[in-house]
Amino acid sequence: MFRTTTCLLALLLAARAAAADDGASITADEDAKPVRRTRDASVGRIFKGPFPSSRLYTMPTADVVGAYVMSVSAESSLLQDTGVLTSAGVLAIGFGDIAQLEYRHTSAISITGINAPVPTAGVQVKLPLPDSLPPLGIAFRLGVPRTETFGDTDVVETVTDVYAVTRLRARGFALHAGLRLSQAKIELTRAMELARERRLALPTGGFEVAMNPTAKLVGEVSLAPRFAWMPGSIKEPEIGYGMLGRLGMRWRILPSIVLDGSIGYQLDVATNAPVQGPGAIVQWDIRLGAEVFVPWGALACRAAGVFCD
Amino acid sequence: MKRVLVVLASVSLTGGIARAQPVPDLPLEGGTEPSQPPLPPDPKPAESADGDHREPAADPYAPLPPPKPEKPLPPIYMPEVLTTPTGWLLPAAVLYSRTSLDTGGGVTSDHRFGLGDVAEFGVATTDAVRERMDDRDLRATRIQPYVTASFRLGVSEDRLFVGQPGVTLGFRKSFERNHNGFKTRIAELTLVASKNVTPRFAVHIGGAFWDASLEGIMDEATEANPEVQRREVSLHDQAQLADQVRVFGGLQIRPLDKSSILVDVGWAPEFCYRCSIDDQKIRLRPVLSWGVRYEVARWVRLEAGVRVPDIDKANLLDAQIFGQLSFTSWALRRAVDSLK
Repeated sequence: MFRTTTCLLALLLAARAAAADDGASITADEDAKPVRRTRDASVGRIFKGPFPSSRLYTMPTADVVGAYVMSVSAESSLLQDTGVLTSAGVLAIGFGDIAQLEYRHTSAISITGINAPVPTAGVQVKLPLPDSLPPLGIAFRLGVPRTETFGDTDVVETVTDVYAVTRLRARGFALHAGLRLSQAKIELTRAMELARERRLALPTGGFEVAMNPTAKLVGEVSLAPRFAWMPGSIKEPEIGYGMLGRLGMRWRILPSIVLDGSIGYQLDVATNAPVQGPGAIVQWDIRLGAEVFVPWGALACRAAGVFCD
Repeated sequence: MKRVLVVLASVSLTGGIARAQPVPDLPLEGGTEPSQPPLPPDPKPAESADGDHREPAADPYAPLPPPKPEKPLPPIYMPEVLTTPTGWLLPAAVLYSRTSLDTGGGVTSDHRFGLGDVAEFGVATTDAVRERMDDRDLRATRIQPYVTASFRLGVSEDRLFVGQPGVTLGFRKSFERNHNGFKTRIAELTLVASKNVTPRFAVHIGGAFWDASLEGIMDEATEANPEVQRREVSLHDQAQLADQVRVFGGLQIRPLDKSSILVDVGWAPEFCYRCSIDDQKIRLRPVLSWGVRYEVARWVRLEAGVRVPDIDKANLLDAQIFGQLSFTSWALRRAVDSLK
């Protein structure tokens, strides 16, 4: 199946080359200059962007959302955990063209085995490096505890991260690579008092291939903290490594709205295979998400004359 | 005097009533047509040397610019032959909806949405998944509705080189279905290629990697084992990887401009809850379908045909005649394009 996927990826890359041959212009929002905030800018012009995105699916990129722009994104899956809507979201506010404040769900594998995002609050900075060097983004995410209840035991999971991520880009193709240093903690409370903490180095990577002026093929693979504990057991909980992968597309339906869809899978790092074997595609999930950009600074400038350039 | 006042009042009243009537649809003498086209938009105000805005003298009778010619819409190739997926994707922001009825009382629907010309997302109900209670139960019945979600990603036909078939990688997975006290799930990963060999003949061929799971009380209580418990079996546990792979395909012939003859062979899972051997609890059964698609209009198609589950047993008694109506819409695409 991996061979099949590799073949398809090769086909898609070739399709990208074909698109370039056709003369299709591949937009690179990340390089375009932001819209000037002036009083006479029309609403249509304001929402035309460009609006660079600061993430692939769960992985941050070396870019930040522009100054005076807010990005709200969410994705969800009903299929991963039956009967439960697992969802993740990011709220990011850009400032100063090089930084953004954010509230997001960072990826982690919960003790029930699902990719259950853990909430974090943080800041992401794009280092002002010379153009000759690849961009470098540094993100700090302070973990907000997430509590799950199993019988008379509460399980509290917290993940705090420092991310360093860089990007290489050729025409219509981008490669992202990064390292996530994660401090993961699991605590059992009420019926039993146990805690375990571990520091993890988690490499992460991803790619984007522009298929046409508005759609990109996106894939990411990353290691994530994996919490393990058997409810009812007196054994200490454990924190290990899990691998998460996603393959799908991001489509800029409008300059300020991005839709994304993807197929996701999980691998157990110890066996380098899905927990229930490579044939267990019934454990895969489909996620659908959206990212909306709100240029609040330009809107405020147009409406009240504040935050103008 | 009174008479004069009465006459004056009558004249005023009549005048008032006359003013309240709508203007007749007659061209005014020396005036404009009644259905006057809207004026062209005001040109940009000119700016004087001192920076003040001046309103230029707009010509209200300037001719309107000719309307932009509408782009001809490309043809929409259907994402399914009759029951199996094709290597074609819906164009970006095109909506697709299909409703099907059959003589076995089955009602299914399928709703999809094209994403950026490279992917497609859909939610559907299917009645292809079937169940049997045990080894003695020879006739499988359908579990319906069985809700699935699908995501397909691919390259359109002739994208890489002339003659290249359309290729899609699709994943379809069901929500958990609780029926007769058993929980079941199915998932299917497909890779399909579709090619218009001639303008009137197309071929579809693909491979599917299937998985399914069944959870419930599957064992009979015996003296040796009086307490039976719920347990789960899955196709990936029972079968070798190769046993999960199936080949499927279809043919599409268009003898008339608006009518096509379609044939396809696909697979569907069958659960046997209390079959004595675990390997027999989840099996894949071949399904043959054939029928006709008639394009009633650009946006609506009518399909009718026959579906034979268990074609390997040549069991025609369980065959169903079905009719289905599919709609496609460019409305959202037009709305998105207008917003751009």
